[in-house]
This record gives sequence, C-alpha cells and structure tokens, in this order.
Amino acid sequence: MMQRRTLLATGAALLAAPRIGTAQALTKATLRLKWLPQTQFAGFYLALERGYYREAGLDLTINPGGPNLLTENLVASGGEQFGVSGGTDSVFSAREKGLPIVCVGVTHQVTPFVFAAKADGAVKTLEDMRGRKATAWFTGAHLVLYGMLASRGIAKEAVNISPQQVSVTPFVNGEVDVVAATWYNELNVLKARLGGVDKLKLFVAEDYGITVPRDTVIANEAFATANPGAVQAFLRASIRGWKAAAATPVAGVEAVMKIAPTIDRAHQEAMLPECLRLMKAGAAAQQGLFAIDPVAVKKAHDFFVAQKVLAAPIDLAAAYQGKYLEAIPLAERMA
Amino acid sequence: MTDAADQLDQLLTVGEAPAARAKLQLNGVSRRFGAVQALAKVDLGIAEGEFVTLIGPSGCGKSTLFNIVAGLLEADTGGEVLLDGAATSLLGKVAFMPQRDLLLPWRNVLDNAILAAEVEGRPKRAARETARAMAADFGLKGFEDHYPQQLSGGMRQRVALMRTFMFDRDLMLLDEPFGALDALTRAMMQRWLLDIWSRYRRTILFITHDIDEAIFLGDRVVVMSARPGSIKLERRVELPRPRDPALLTTPAFNAIKRELLDAVEEESMKTFAAGAA
Amino acid sequence: MALLRLVLPLLLLAALWEGAVALLQISPFYLPPLRQVLGAIWALGPAYAQAFMVTLGEAVAGFVVGGLVGVVSATAFHHQRWLRDMLFPLFVASQTVPVIAFGAIVVLWFGNTLLAKAAIAFYLTFFPVTVNALAGFEAVDPRQVALLRSFGASRRDIWWKLLLPSALPRIFTALRLSAGLALAGAIVGEWFGASIGVGAMLLAALFNEQVVAMWAAILTAAAVGGAIFGVVALVEARLVFWRDEL
Repeated sequence: MMQRRTLLATGAALLAAPRIGTAQALTKATLRLKWLPQTQFAGFYLALERGYYREAGLDLTINPGGPNLLTENLVASGGEQFGVSGGTDSVFSAREKGLPIVCVGVTHQVTPFVFAAKADGAVKTLEDMRGRKATAWFTGAHLVLYGMLASRGIAKEAVNISPQQVSVTPFVNGEVDVVAATWYNELNVLKARLGGVDKLKLFVAEDYGITVPRDTVIANEAFATANPGAVQAFLRASIRGWKAAAATPVAGVEAVMKIAPTIDRAHQEAMLPECLRLMKAGAAAQQGLFAIDPVAVKKAHDFFVAQKVLAAPIDLAAAYQGKYLEAIPLAERMA
Repeated sequence: MTDAADQLDQLLTVGEAPAARAKLQLNGVSRRFGAVQALAKVDLGIAEGEFVTLIGPSGCGKSTLFNIVAGLLEADTGGEVLLDGAATSLLGKVAFMPQRDLLLPWRNVLDNAILAAEVEGRPKRAARETARAMAADFGLKGFEDHYPQQLSGGMRQRVALMRTFMFDRDLMLLDEPFGALDALTRAMMQRWLLDIWSRYRRTILFITHDIDEAIFLGDRVVVMSARPGSIKLERRVELPRPRDPALLTTPAFNAIKRELLDAVEEESMKTFAAGAA
Repeated sequence: MALLRLVLPLLLLAALWEGAVALLQISPFYLPPLRQVLGAIWALGPAYAQAFMVTLGEAVAGFVVGGLVGVVSATAFHHQRWLRDMLFPLFVASQTVPVIAFGAIVVLWFGNTLLAKAAIAFYLTFFPVTVNALAGFEAVDPRQVALLRSFGASRRDIWWKLLLPSALPRIFTALRLSAGLALAGAIVGEWFGASIGVGAMLLAALFNEQVVAMWAAILTAAAVGGAIFGVVALVEARLVFWRDEL
C-alpha cells in the first residue's frame, strides 16, 4: 500500500516536473526565511515535513532568518537559492542596488502591518498623531506611515517617529502613543496584553490608499534562469504545503513547533490564521496563492518613488517574474 | 652495587684505545664575541679516564670553554678541538652537566634520569630498568617515583648526575655541579662522586670555584687566566686514591693549595683591576 | 569532596535565586523563579538536550581546531622569526574585526552549517592560545634547551620533551579562557539563521519576549560552557599536575 502510494507520488512528481529529474536526482536548494521559525512560515515547514519538495524533485533545506541577516543578500550571493524576503519594498531596493534576485511570488498580498493606538488614548484619528510619539520599524514600515500622513496632508516632521525595537512593551506602558504591529504577531500580543481588539484603534494602510505586499518569495536570478523547473517545483510544493496548513492548521503549527520547540504554542496558533488571511487577500482571491499582482506592485513602486526611497523607477518586469507561477495550473494555486 | 655499572658498560662501545692517547685535545682554541675576546689560544689535553678540574677567576671564559667542548658553541677558526683524535661535531658526544640541575618538573626521578637516553632513541622501558638499577648507586633508592620538587637540593643534583651518567659518553663535563649546595652536603657529594667515578670509569672535566674541591677531586688541576681566558697553570695532584677527607689537612694538600691560590689570586687581581679601571 | 565543592556553590546560587525572587517580589518579567525555568527545561527535555549537544559540538569543534592552530602557529613563530614578523600583525589585526561582522561574513561563506559556527568559535579561540603558547615557548630556560641539544636532541625532541610541556601551564590558561569564548562564538554563529542550538533558542525567546524560555536558554548555555571548562580543567589537572609546586 505504502509502496504504491510512493510510486504514485513519484509518478506525479515526474509528470509535474519533468525537467528536474527523478527522486534519485534531486536538485539541492535552500530557502532562507526572513525571520525566526514561526507559523508565518508554516506552509513551507509543512511542505518540507510532508516531503512535498522531495516529491517535486527538490532536496530543500530551510534556513531561518534573524535579526542579523538580510535574505536578499544571502540569495543574491548564490549561497541560497530561494528566500522569503522583506517585501516588495526590499525587492525594489535590492534590484536598485543591482543584486541579482528576482521575485517569483508574493506571500502577503496586502500590507501585513497596521498602526495601533490605544482606544482610550489621545490618538483617535491620523490628525491626532501630530506632536505624539510613534514608533515603526525603520526597515520600511516608517515609510508607510509617512505615506499615510502625507495622504492627509500631514508633514512627517509633525509626528515624533522613532525606530521601533522588538518589544511592544513601551506602547503597552504608555511611553509611546502609536506603534506598528503585524496582523499576525504584535497585534496578537497587544490584544492579549490590553484585553481585546476593542481596546485598540487601528490605522490600516489600505484605508489611505497604500498597499505594500510583503513576504516576497525571491530566487537567485542566475539560478532561476538556469533552473526554471526548480523554481516552478518550489512554488508548486510550497503551495501544496500552505494549502495543507490551511486545511489542518494543527499540522502547520506542529511542523513549526518541531523545529522550534521552545516557542509559545498558543501564540503560534493565533498567528497562522492571520497569515493565511493575508495570503488569501487581494489578488490571491482570483489568482491563487503567491500571486504577483502587477497593479499592487506598481502602486507600491510608485509610492516608494514618490517617497524618494527609490532614486529612479526600476524595471518591474525584470524584477517581478510571474511566469514560474503561471506555469502551474490556476486550479492548483487556488487556496 | 657494581651491577649497574656493568650494565652500563655493556652498552658502551669503548675500543681498546692506547693508554697515552688524549680523550680530548684542545689546540689553540679561541673565541671572540664581538669586541670581547673570551678565550685566547687554549691548549689542553685530557687523557682517557682522567679526572681534570678547572678553576679560574669569574668571567675567565670557563663557560665558553665548556660550551665549546659540549658542542653548543663553535670555536673561532684557527684552533681545533679533537675528540679521540678526530675533529668532529661534539654535539651529542659529550655528557654535559650544567650548574643548575635543570630537572623537568613533569618527570619523576627515573624519567628525568633517562631523558638523555630517551633522546638517543633507547626504548623507555629498558632505559627505566637501567635507571632503576642505578638509583641505589646514586642514593636515590626509594625516590624513583618522586618528582624533583619533592627532593632536596643534594638529591636533585644526584638525579642530574645520574642523567649525565646515563648519557653513556666517555667524556663528562661537569660545570660546578655542587656550587649551590651547603658545605656539608657538598663534601658528601664529592666523596660520593669519586666513588661513582671509580666504578663507572669516565673521563671528567670538572669546573669549580672551590680550590679545595679542585684538589680533592682531580688528578690534575688546571688554572685559567683572567680574560681573555687561556691556560695559566697545570698542576698534577699526586695524592693517593681513594681519597680520604683527612687529606684536606695534610701538608701535601696545603702545598698544592698554596701554589694554586697564588696563581688564582694573581688572575683575580687582574680581573679586579680591569673592573676598577 | 570534589563533587561537594562543585555542587555546593550551585545549590547556594539556586537558593539565592529562588529566595531573592520570592522575598524581593521580583517581577517574573525580569527574573522568573528558578523552578519555573527548570520546569520549562524539564518539560522540553529532549529539545534542550539537543540544543545542548549541537552547541557543544560547534563550540568544541572550533575550540579544538583553534587550540591546535594556536599551538602550531606559536611553534612556527617561535622557530621562524621572519614568519612571526610577517604573520603576527595579521593575527592581531584579525582580532579587531567585530565578531558580529565576522559572523555575517562566515554565514555568507559557509551558510547555515556546523562549519560556520565552528569557524566563529575558532576565530575567538586561536588567538589567545597563540599568544600564550608563544609566551610559554619564549619563557623556556635557554639552558634547558642547551642541555637537550648537548644530548643530541633534534628540534622535534626539544619541542616534545621540553617546549610543549613547559608551555602547557600558559596554554591551559588560554584554553580555560577560550572555553567561554568558543561558546560565545558558537552562540553568535547561531544568531545568523541557525535552526537548532542554544543560540537559536536564546534568539527565539528574546524576540518572542518569552522570559522563562530565555532564562532556560541561558542556563543551557551555562551548562555547555561548564562542560567545556570542566573537561579542560580535568585535562589540565592531569597534564599540569606539577604547576602548583613550581
């Protein structure tokens, strides 16, 4: 029984990725994540655990990210083939610097973070932020805040914005009025520590006409050009993993907990559905997981050009390559 | 008691050398260090089996001479150093014992004693057996497994001597081996050395500051001149062997001592005057 | 007796920890009770054991190679003055690179491998050993060397029978210092995208604000450091038994 299943699976893999070869000749590759192991990456870990990459012809290793690493640099160096990088913003800046990476998919279709103030605090509207203290990650989130303020004609100098550290404790303690929070991580922490979402006033970028899709899937450019089948196989297996994690979140959480057994399970359980929501939002609703929405990308790009973060427009068609994804039947990509 | 000596002798490869032939012959040996002339044309011969003692004022180049004979220093060109009549490299051919015992603190008595033998490539076990047999002769029985830091100064010196004896060479160079010992221990060690020497039959060149010691031990006493060092005087000691401590107060002993003292004092004055100038 | 001497301070520290937390009512955010930390380790025993082994392996690999390279370099520097004049400044310069920067480079070179962590542990280890071994070789009494030479000893004999044993006390001083450095190196190495190890655990706990898990990781790190230090001290006691008596 087992043997037959394996045979079938191998057959399926052969059909699916004929150019990569058989189970005997797996393509070795690594995936560098953007952060430490957590259910933000559950689909990748589950795909690995269930052997989806292997079945697709890849011998994949998943390497966690961390505070001292830039996924773009590691993938650009060729030491790693795939990466979950910061977001569309970091792809822009990497391409601007000439780093040989391409974006082959987008995980979070909408801006994955919001800005939060306390519901009973002084900040009820964006206008109220004037003269107040706000923190944001200076890896890109601060630009989104600048953009939101600009959309209401507020100069960024009017708000006291400083770099946000890892902890949200200063906000909880009232030392800071506005804090950046990802839907899947900090917001859960805030809800838990303040006692519910109704204790918070949220400012969502999309409400101010800004969308920055993040958690972009990138590949080393030379590797992708030489091994299009491997890129396709990677995306196909990752989609399978994420669909499995969506179907059985418990398995998704478990796959991560096996890698990092000391992290808090309840927190991870709360994180996964939020990540899935961000993944299925926007263009993904019609075009499936990892869809690269050219409109959203262009919008984000123009926003960063307007913010003068990018000195000049970059070649988006070269940087964002949907062809690997489009080679996979749409039905397979739909979550 | 002599078992150990026999055991060593079996390992010796001493040929039947003509009795009159010199074991060591120095002809016009000089050595200069930069501007300092340490040795100037030293001529000295030591016969096979002879015990020669060497005295001289401080800084007369005794150590330089020793290092040359031990093969650690080259003599300046012009002179020659002959061992058994041949001018070869002396390194590893002369059993050399420096002033300090220089025992290795991580080796016990036996392992310190076999150091030279070990360097020569003798199997450790066999060397240890020999050393164990020799320990009694060297007054170290029962201390074979002690470490140097557990021994008295006299014992440490005997370990160092045993190490020198175990380095089976016909010619032994001893550089003030008893210099650091108290008078009583020193007197005992002198008699003991003579006893050992009579049994192990080696050619010895022995440096000392002590004229009594030089006379008591030697077949011949050599006095070196002040720097630049050369041989000032050679005096044969015709005192009977085995030597008894009572000799030290005999007129014959005192006569030799008087003669040597005059020579040494004259040289010491030169050194003193040179220092004062 | 020796065991008691080892265990007693640990027990005292544990009592102090528990007592201080209880008496001074320290917020668990700053210092959770020891039993809670030990409980966390107990609950995930295999995970902590694995992290212990992985980090120990990385640190020991770097430590051993660092120690050997240190002694070999010192030997080369001792015998070849020109080599020392040429390379020693480079050794010194290498140590001015901050370990974090070095870590970033090493990860680019070796990726997420044992080699990467061992390389950082090595980087922190070899220099103190080189310096101390060299000082040890230089401090050898030249008369000892002359004595061995008079026995016809080769350079190799002199090294094995005299230089190395003489330098051992200083080498071990460096090794004891390096035991902690090697651990620090392995942990820093794990901060660059490692999946398992004490450093990876420490980082996850730090960024998830899991105070108990953080202290559990710290205790595990201390255990790794203690293990390496303990073995070094044991070997030292066996090899350099004569040191105190000098």
